[in-house]
Amino acid sequence: MKKTTVSEPSTSRKRPRDEDSEPGSEPEPVPGNSIDHSGSLSLEENFSFSDTMVALQIMRAQFPHIEKVSVQPFVLQSQLYSSIKDRTQVDRELESLRRDRVLRIFKLNTGQDDHAVMFMDDYLNQIEHVVKRMEVKTQDGLMVFEWFKTHVIHSKLDASIGHQELCSLLSLGGKVKEEHISLLINAGIVIRQLIDQNMYWFAIPNIGSVLKGLSQGRKEVLSFLNRRKYKEMMLAPLEKKCLRFSPLDMRFHLRDLIGSGHLKTVQTPSGLVVRVAKD
Amino acid sequence: MWKETRERELGKLHPNLFSNRIRKTRLSSIQLSNHKEIVSSHRGSINSLQVDLTEGRYLIAGASDATVAVYDVQRATDYVEGDQIEKHKSIFVINKQHDHGHKYAISSAMWYPVDTGLFITGSYDHHINVWDTNTTQVVMNFKMPGKVYRTAMSSLAKSHMLIASGTEDVQVRLCDIASGAFSHTLSGHRDSVMSLEWSTSSEWVLITGGCDGAIRFWDIRRAGCFCVLDQSHSQLGRRPPLLQRSATNKVSTSKSSSSAQSSFEKVRAPQKKVVNSNALKPLAVGRISNQPKGVRQRLHPGMLSTHDRATAHYGVVTGLKVTEDGMYLLSAGSDSRLRLWDIESGCNTLVNFETTRLQSSKAIQMAVSRDSALVFVPCMATAKAFDMWSGQTMQTFRGHYENVNCCWYSSQDQELYTGSNDRQILVWSPPKFTSDETNQRGKGLSIAVDQDNWSD
Repeated sequence: MKKTTVSEPSTSRKRPRDEDSEPGSEPEPVPGNSIDHSGSLSLEENFSFSDTMVALQIMRAQFPHIEKVSVQPFVLQSQLYSSIKDRTQVDRELESLRRDRVLRIFKLNTGQDDHAVMFMDDYLNQIEHVVKRMEVKTQDGLMVFEWFKTHVIHSKLDASIGHQELCSLLSLGGKVKEEHISLLINAGIVIRQLIDQNMYWFAIPNIGSVLKGLSQGRKEVLSFLNRRKYKEMMLAPLEKKCLRFSPLDMRFHLRDLIGSGHLKTVQTPSGLVVRVAKD
Repeated sequence: MWKETRERELGKLHPNLFSNRIRKTRLSSIQLSNHKEIVSSHRGSINSLQVDLTEGRYLIAGASDATVAVYDVQRATDYVEGDQIEKHKSIFVINKQHDHGHKYAISSAMWYPVDTGLFITGSYDHHINVWDTNTTQVVMNFKMPGKVYRTAMSSLAKSHMLIASGTEDVQVRLCDIASGAFSHTLSGHRDSVMSLEWSTSSEWVLITGGCDGAIRFWDIRRAGCFCVLDQSHSQLGRRPPLLQRSATNKVSTSKSSSSAQSSFEKVRAPQKKVVNSNALKPLAVGRISNQPKGVRQRLHPGMLSTHDRATAHYGVVTGLKVTEDGMYLLSAGSDSRLRLWDIESGCNTLVNFETTRLQSSKAIQMAVSRDSALVFVPCMATAKAFDMWSGQTMQTFRGHYENVNCCWYSSQDQELYTGSNDRQILVWSPPKFTSDETNQRGKGLSIAVDQDNWSD
């Protein structure tokens, strides 16, 4: 009864807050309804979570929908840092989830220490899409993707793999030739490392345009805030702005920049303020 | 505090506990010193700082304009502003004009660990000089094949007097002061070595970090390194739980055997039997590698580590620091990450230090408090104190105008000294309340003469 009298002028804001506190406090995510609702919640309401798994589920549900490119949702590691206070806890929970094969961590080439976290099912779906597209172009050698899925993904949990090891794991499925490795590289599943010729990075196939949008969007948000007089803005109106150069929404970029330390948030009586960090 | 003193008097509080508590409270109140100032006599950025390990009294600083200066941090040279601020000027300065002085920037300056009679400087002019402090003359000189990035001597050494030097060259050289020659070289890095430290638990173990991102542990009595740290080997917690230790050992041996070349079969055969049988099959079935057997030389078992390409950081390893108990290693990289490694298991403990950016072109010098609770790290234009086990930022020391390169924590006085590119050495200490003393002293009197302050 108290809530109706207090929240009369802003009922649309106060009601989601109840739903938000439920997924935040429970250790396991409530499936179904609450996750669908969370797509419409603003960043200000669900800014911090209690648990890595909960944060991952909710951020995955909030992944923006991009036309033209079909990309399975992924979460950047810096986004997790922005929403959970203890970063060491995030790192350790990610490590144990990775060892349990629930998710995979990929190193991205946009910037110094960017890592993308993707659930195993989403990753396998992404590979499926890519394989279907390659089937249209060329027919032979496609069993290498099957070998990759069955032998390599489940046994090699790191972000990188050596050439010898890749070949030896693939040959558990059948005779491996150089063309098979080239197919994997063309599909974008495995990328050669710049520093070391014999090592490969695991990569999420088909996200090149999204990564370009990510780096351009970051620059756009930072330059927008830097151009303002006091280099800060209230979070609520900032979140509603549209980005010109990035297909990803503002909330994605804000979480990423706050987690990597380029922006910081300050609590004020009228809400959260986002400021460019000085050092 | 008076209550604790009373308890100490009565014997209720253990003396060690009492002193630790006082140290902790003083450490947590460190700020830019309001009573001490070091007058820097350098005209270039300060690259290295060290307070001597025997007395904790003399601070040696090496700078980019080839100057080395020694400051007495316990006795001030003069007092200003009514005896409230002590100014510490340098006791002596060595610059380019000095005969046999360095010509280019000095990257590291340190005291001889046994006493302050000698100090050692390494510089970008490819030389390492050993100086006699009292006469400020060079007594020994070592020429290196490249710019010297770092020198280190073991403070525990009882049977050797070796200076380990990390240079632009891929090999780490050990210079012997007793004989004046190089004793041996350690090869295994694939790029120049930017940081090195001796272990604090063994006088034979040296830890080096290279520009290839690898951290290697060397036992100088053997060939090759015995451990290469890999950032993907991680453990969840300060020490691995007992039951999991055997499992992680199996994982690491299987990983190393499957990545070894085919010609190393003989050496690796006994280890392969421990590994699951899947590893044997691919070598029999899929002969992808084109190297014919027998053409490849079989390397000495100690040199097998040269093929281990594990990296500890995604960039250059710019700083290393071993904790005083010898159990943990802190490493800083140009990928702006600080990692804490458990030395005994060789794993990354996954503690996340909130560093936004660390400077990547120069080496940085970090400091750890004696009970391994706080880590002081230079982060761009500030120095930050992090909690060692949770990675949270406890304090940020803002005072320098440009990038901070080095810091040194003196646990005796609970003071932090930082040197930066703005040519200044700043002192950070617990605040001193001087209001009572000035009232008593009066205007014309100087500070009470210190009877202990004499010298021959």
